[in-house]
Order: sequence, then C-alpha cells, then structure tokens
Amino acid sequence: MQDVLNQLALGFVHLGTGANLAALAVGLVVGMLVAVLPGLTLVMGVVLALPFTYGMSVTPSIVLLTAMYLSGTYGGAFTSVLFRIPGEPLDVPLLWDGYTMARKGEPAKALGWVLLAALAGGLITAFSAVALAVPFAKFALRFDSPEYFAIVLFGLSGVVALAGDSMAKGVVSLCIGLMLATVGVDETYGADRFTFGVPILKDGIEYLVVMVGAYGLGEVLARMEQGFVTPPLDSGRKVETRFPRWSEIRQLRGTALRSSIVGVLCGIVPGAGATVGSFVAYGVEAGYGKNRLKLGTGIPEGIVAPQLASTATVGGHMVPLLALGIPGSGATAVILGAFLLHGVQPGPQIFQTSGDMVYTIFASMFAAVIGMCLLGYFAIKPLIWVLRLPEAVTSAFVALFCFVGAYSERNSVTDLWMIVVFGVVGYLFERFRFPIAPMVLGCILGPVAENSFMTSMLSYQNDWTIFFRRPISGTVMILVVVALAWPLVRLLRGAIRARRVGPEVAALERELKP
Amino acid sequence: MNARAKAIVPYAAMLAIAAFLYGRTASFAALGRPGQLGPDFWPKAVLVLLMVTCAIEILRVALAPPAKPSALANAKQGHGEGDDHAPRYPVLLLSGIVLTILYVPGMQVLGFFLATAIYLAAFMVVGRYRRYGVVAVTSIVGSLAFVFVFMKIVYVSLPIGVGPFQSVSTALMALLGIH
Repeated sequence: MQDVLNQLALGFVHLGTGANLAALAVGLVVGMLVAVLPGLTLVMGVVLALPFTYGMSVTPSIVLLTAMYLSGTYGGAFTSVLFRIPGEPLDVPLLWDGYTMARKGEPAKALGWVLLAALAGGLITAFSAVALAVPFAKFALRFDSPEYFAIVLFGLSGVVALAGDSMAKGVVSLCIGLMLATVGVDETYGADRFTFGVPILKDGIEYLVVMVGAYGLGEVLARMEQGFVTPPLDSGRKVETRFPRWSEIRQLRGTALRSSIVGVLCGIVPGAGATVGSFVAYGVEAGYGKNRLKLGTGIPEGIVAPQLASTATVGGHMVPLLALGIPGSGATAVILGAFLLHGVQPGPQIFQTSGDMVYTIFASMFAAVIGMCLLGYFAIKPLIWVLRLPEAVTSAFVALFCFVGAYSERNSVTDLWMIVVFGVVGYLFERFRFPIAPMVLGCILGPVAENSFMTSMLSYQNDWTIFFRRPISGTVMILVVVALAWPLVRLLRGAIRARRVGPEVAALERELKP
Repeated sequence: MNARAKAIVPYAAMLAIAAFLYGRTASFAALGRPGQLGPDFWPKAVLVLLMVTCAIEILRVALAPPAKPSALANAKQGHGEGDDHAPRYPVLLLSGIVLTILYVPGMQVLGFFLATAIYLAAFMVVGRYRRYGVVAVTSIVGSLAFVFVFMKIVYVSLPIGVGPFQSVSTALMALLGIH
C-alpha cells in the first residue's frame, strides 16, 4: 500500500510537466465539447483525437484520451438538464429528473447535483482504479495461454450479452469483427488469408480504420439521411450552478453508495460501459431507493444515481485495460490503440516496465476529476456555445477528421478507401440497428483470442478441455457460459410469461422495464 | 418490402457472404501441418458461428407470428419518440456517399487543401445549409487550419496533388511556413 501511495505521489510529480498538463487541459475541454454536441459521441470524440497523439509521447497521449473520456461522462449532462438534449446516450436518464427539476424552476440546483455526482463518481473511480489495478495485475501474472483465451472470450461474450435488444445482432457484429481480424498473413503458418490477391490486405485491416469509419463516418451518414434535423441552439437560458446544502447531500448517502458500486462493477465487466451503468443505477434507485416512488418528478436521487455511476465506470474500465490489456468499451479500445501505436503493450508486466507512466495516468485521473468540475462550474457557458453551430457544418468537419485521422497513421490512400467502406458499413449497422462495439472489439481482440487459442492447442495437444480443467480458466469459462446463457434464460422466461399473461401484456412489461 | 422481409435481408446477406468466405478457406487449409490445427481453423469456427446465428435468426423471423405493436410502442410513436418513422432522405444520403467517395481520388489529384475546401463546402450545401458566405469562409479557413495543424505541428505528409494543383499546394505550404 505504502509503495502504491509513493508511486502515486511520483505520478503527480510527473503529471506536473508541461506536456502532461497541457494534454490534461486539452483533453478536459475537448471531452466536454464532444459530450455537449449531440452529433458527436464520446467514443467518436476519443477516436478523432487519436491522430493528434501520433506526434506525442505515450504518457501525454493517454492522459489526453483519459481526460476526454472522464469529462465526456459529465459534459452531456448540461444539455440534458437545461435543453432536454442528451449529449450522450448515458445522459438519457438525466432527462427524467434533471430536466424535470430544471423545468420546476431549479436548473442551477439540478446542475449542482450533477456536479457533485460527477465529482463523487470521479474520485471513486480514480481511487478504485489505483486500488484494484495492482492486485489485478499480480493475479494476471499467473496466466498462461488458456487463461488469456478464457479472459478474452469472457470479454467478447460480455459485449455480446450486453449488445442491446438482440443477442443475435451482437453475435453477427462480433463475428464480422473477428473475421476482419483474420485478414492478412497468419502469424503461426504465414498463410495469406482473405487477401484476394490485393497486396495491401497482406498487412491486414487496421482496426483504427474500422473504428473511425464505423463510429465516425457511419454516424455522419446516418444523420445525413435524417436530414441533419437537430436545430441549432437559440436559447437565452441562464447557465449557472448552485450547490445543494450539506443536510441535503447527507440524505443521499445510500444512493451514492449503491450507484458507486454499480458504476465500478459496470466498468470492470467488459461491455457494460457508462451508458449501461447510468441506466442500471437509475433502475436500482427505482427498485431500492428511499424515494423510489417519486423518481421522475425531479428529485436529486434521479440525477445523482445515473451521473455518479456513469462517471464511476471510467476507472473500472481502466483496470482490465492496464492490468490485462483487455478493453471493455469503445473508448478504452481507442486508448489501447494509443498504447499499441506507441509500442506499449498493456498487461500484467506494465506495472514493472512502465510504472511511472501508469501512476502518472492514475494521477491524471484525480486531476481530471477536479479539472472537469472546475470547468463545469466556471466555463460551461462558452462551451455550450458550440450548440449554436449547424449540424451540417459540424458533421462536415467530423467526416474530415475521420479521413485525416485514418490517413495520418500510415500515410496510405488505401486507408482512405477503407474509411469509406467502413463508413458505409457503420451506416448500415446504424440503419439495421446492429451494435458497432462488438465488431470493433472483435477486430481488436480477435488476434489475441486466436493466438492464445492456437498456442493452447499446440501446447496441450489439441485438448480443448484444458480451458475447463485449469482452475482460473475453468472459472472464467463458467462465467462465459453464464454470460451467454443469461440472455437465453431471459428469453425463455419472457416466452413463459407471454404464455401466461398474453404476448401483448408481456411485451408491454418488457418495454416498461428500465 | 414488408417488415418480415426487411428483418431477414441483413441476415440472409451475411449468411451468403459467410458461405462464400467459408469456401475460400480451402485455399489456405492445405498449409496446415498434420495433427495440428491449420490456419483455416479459426476463421472456419467464426464463420460457422456466424452462419448458424444467421440461419437461426432467419428461421425465427420467418416462423414467428405477426407482431402487433404494443400500446406503449403506439404511445411512443404518438409522442415522436423513436426514429423508425422519422423522415429519411435517401437522396441526401446517396449524395453524401458519392461526395465522400469522390473526395478520395480528389485529394490525390487536387491536393489536400483544394480537395478539402471543395469537400467541406459541398458537404454543407448538400446537408441543406444555405448561408453561402459562412460555407465559403468555414471551408477555406477550416482547410487551412487542417493543413497547418497536420503538416506543421503533427508532421503528417498530406497529399499535395499533381500538375498545377501541386504548385498551389506548394505555394500555400510556403505561405504557412511548412517545409
């Protein structure tokens, strides 16, 4: 413990250098801007910032992206509470109580609750990342290829299980990602796979172009099809924050505790990101909160629970990313990409090989939480100005960022064509409501999964039961089975319920569940 | 196209593509060593999972009884929630895709600055933004900013075009102090 605190103190010292502080400040402002704009998602923003990190060293790059990630979970709350425009999907629950409180004449107080929840969630997430990452990494040092395969499989199955209303769509999306990862020269045998005689495909498909194309250009095309209907903001509403009284804050201890646990857990479980955390925390409050019957009428619990949980997921996500090298969300997949682009492989060894960097990142999380709250309190008014920009203008620049971002990595025109292809794929995913995250994670984790699987098979004479016979991998494989079986169990229960109460009532019940 | 057919189309397309790719695995299956899993094993496993999922989903949609919209779904639509029935503009989408496709060869011929300025302006106009003064200023200043940031600060070698367009890019770079 003493060692961790010493390292963290050193991390704060390293954070004090000009490059790191500048990265932190820029990350906070840009993250906030991205979250405020309804057309830009948080993941998209982090993806678009990635090319700017090429010329930077690894620590400021990660500090920049992590700061964006953290402040992005807070920025969208302003537009949700004040203008009923959720900047991010994770801000939707804030419409129910945050906007209602603002409508009741207390917008400043609603923003005060949001700020407090973001501060609490941010500090909890930073503490949990510091506390959990080292034990996680020490545990991971015992891993061999079967354990790695089981963990990656667990990550992928979690993404599929939480893919939304259709598990089949999640599986299809994941399989497409895994197949994209197989394109190129196979590492074990040196065989050309799915290259179709095109030389550039021998190098494989860069997951960066998949991410940028599908998330960025795909979203732009989808919004273009809808005619860029979001009207520019033209409101003179006053933007100020007023803190609640201490006695009011104390009454929300239970809400804070429940939401913190939900947030950190949703962070650690792959696939369950800030959006899931936000909705689950609101749902938990609706089920167990003291004022659950008043939820939706503009009470503080309905603001604190989703905001605190969504911010608290960030540190949870950083734990498997740093300790195992496994991203659990779109944003952490981009951060992993930044690590790899700088030649750093996250995993259990990173605490020995790059301890300074890791603790500087942890220190930056604490600083980012304070910074984003100060920014939210003092500087949100000019930031909200971006909402006055017409959607067609911002979308044109987002598309441009996608192209430049993809081109910058290899200076290859082929990557520009890939962006167009994956932009159209992303649009089709959006159109047919297929989730993009499983495809992206499949593309990134596919090679890790294949290599660990093939190595296990070579080492254990093609005995696939090895994954179940070793204690750690066996336990994780059981979790994989549970993660995959759970949606099926839910489906079965739904069918039984539908038989008992009729399909229409059952469908209505399903839709009413948070 | 009715709702059932619309739901089946993506899965049927994926099933066909997966079957085609499965056939292609034969070309690299031969490179495997006896007694060991070859380079075809992993893609085959993924493709089988994909084909089985698509087949199940096609059967499920085809055999399911016609769904009646629930009361809540009707209420949501009444309040404008959910964007399934929001107006769509396929011509706009198609124009955006064509514009984006043209941008790639355009960048190689015209160079980054000229192609980007034209692309940005065209994108905004196609996106139904009609304040032409703002369009012109935004696209030119935006393109210049991109050239400056990426070529001068991030050191990315953006395309400079061919023939006379190359001279324009070179002159612009000299003006911005990019060597």
